[in-house]
Amino acid sequence: MEMRNEPKKYRYHPKPQIPPNMSDIVGIEYNRVTNTTSTDFPGHSSEENAWDLEEFKKNLQINISHLAGRSTNFDLINIDTSIANAFRRIMIAEVPSVAAETVYIYNNTSVIQDEVLAHRIGLIPLNVDPDTLQWIDPAADENERFNDANTYVMTLDVSCSKRDNVPEGTTDPKILYRNSSVYAKDLKFVPQGRQEQLFKNSPVAPCDPNILLAKLRPGQEISLRVHCILGIGSDHAKFSPVATASYRLMPVIDIKEPIVGELAKRFQKCFPSGVIEIDENGAAYVADARKDTVSREVLRHEEFEGKVKLGRKRSHFIFNVESTGAMSPLEIFLKSVRILKNKADYLRNCPIGQ
Amino acid sequence: MSEENKDITMEAVEEQEYDVDKIKLLPGLSEDGTAASFQIIDEDHTLGNALRYLIMKNPEVEFCGYSIPHPSENKLNVRIQTYGNITAMEALHQGLDGLSALCTHVEETFNEKVEAGGYSVIEP
Amino acid sequence: MSSPQKEAFSAPTSISHAAQGQAPSKNLGVRYNCAQCGASFTLGKTDSIRCKECGHRVIYKARTKKMVQFEAR
Repeated sequence: MEMRNEPKKYRYHPKPQIPPNMSDIVGIEYNRVTNTTSTDFPGHSSEENAWDLEEFKKNLQINISHLAGRSTNFDLINIDTSIANAFRRIMIAEVPSVAAETVYIYNNTSVIQDEVLAHRIGLIPLNVDPDTLQWIDPAADENERFNDANTYVMTLDVSCSKRDNVPEGTTDPKILYRNSSVYAKDLKFVPQGRQEQLFKNSPVAPCDPNILLAKLRPGQEISLRVHCILGIGSDHAKFSPVATASYRLMPVIDIKEPIVGELAKRFQKCFPSGVIEIDENGAAYVADARKDTVSREVLRHEEFEGKVKLGRKRSHFIFNVESTGAMSPLEIFLKSVRILKNKADYLRNCPIGQ
Repeated sequence: MSEENKDITMEAVEEQEYDVDKIKLLPGLSEDGTAASFQIIDEDHTLGNALRYLIMKNPEVEFCGYSIPHPSENKLNVRIQTYGNITAMEALHQGLDGLSALCTHVEETFNEKVEAGGYSVIEP
Repeated sequence: MSSPQKEAFSAPTSISHAAQGQAPSKNLGVRYNCAQCGASFTLGKTDSIRCKECGHRVIYKARTKKMVQFEAR
């Protein structure tokens, strides 16, 4: 038997010559991306590119698409990846929020284990303004660590029992028993000290009341107490104020040659609806590149080779922020900006040790 | 003003304390201070990459790079080399000032846009 | 000068057992619940593993009455 051991053939990729107006576009090809790194630094090209606050102020654009109670979508335009990414990272890991930290279980005869139940309680987003709490002093003695300024206490006391006069043949546990399911809303706020006054009208409660915590059957009960404290996402995900905080780059679709007739219809089908439209002459044009998912489907068809170039605008960030419910997404983003500023200001004033 | 009240106001204006261990110089400092490495405690890529970008934007800076020497140590190393007109420490401080001003402007612009309205307030 | 504290002998506080002619039930065994009838009882180390009420052989250890602390992590 003959085994051929031919060397692998690699295609030669010359360094792309990027025209000046294309320097801000990340190229997206069939099986590779090009021009991915920022090069707007002094000495990299004939352009000056030095940091200039006034220039930044002139260029920065922010467009808000929607700003709802639980989510927001906005564009940051003409900002570098390193800055946009810092905002994203801070929203996820460094903006503080309140979550259950310690669970004191007095009784739990349900089938869900104590530690699993405690973990589930920890992950419930709580509808509290984090600014109303102070930080816990981790160095403090365990008995003196929690006080009315840094802790919210909640209790969960449920027991399941049989309901009387249930119609014959009923199988639904919700009809057969009382408290067959334990929900986040069963957690009751117990104000401590000054909290009685502060939370007279707005008790601490879960953002989503119908999160299932456990299921019970007659005779089973859960009785526990929870201490909720301030924390950040880098310590534990339960403290992250966002469900997701992400950005994508603005898609760019550059039609190089006219695409008309039947071909235009096939071209349109390569993109999500609304991205490509066909004008009165039967030619395809880009109606809304923002809707594109950059699936690269169009690059799989030989008939469009050379007719279209895909890319993404490197300095155009489309942010999507979804809050867990405690804070408005607007507040989360603004806090992330302030946290980055505080980091810089703090470090600026720190003495540099040897 | 009573003595007691005076004490409270004095406390309020007391300057913020700064951690003396937050940032230190690493070996590799040039004699004239135009090249230096710094180690920052409890920071990561969030500050590292943003700061590196702003320091690299300084035309007086020849080189700037950062690294997280080990993923399980919360340390950030930053290396700065200048062309000689400013020291590495000055470049670092200029970068931090630039970052601070940038954040101020982003916050202002965002607040303006929120107040200006013209966006949907319901989820699409 | 006070002498060091010594544990003094104390007579059993309850002598009703003797009055009743019963031995005090030593509560040394572990508490169990029957899986079949739900009865609660204790078993000593030499007792056979079965319910004292119905004789069922599947029994559960009763949960502690103490509070247990967990980290919600």
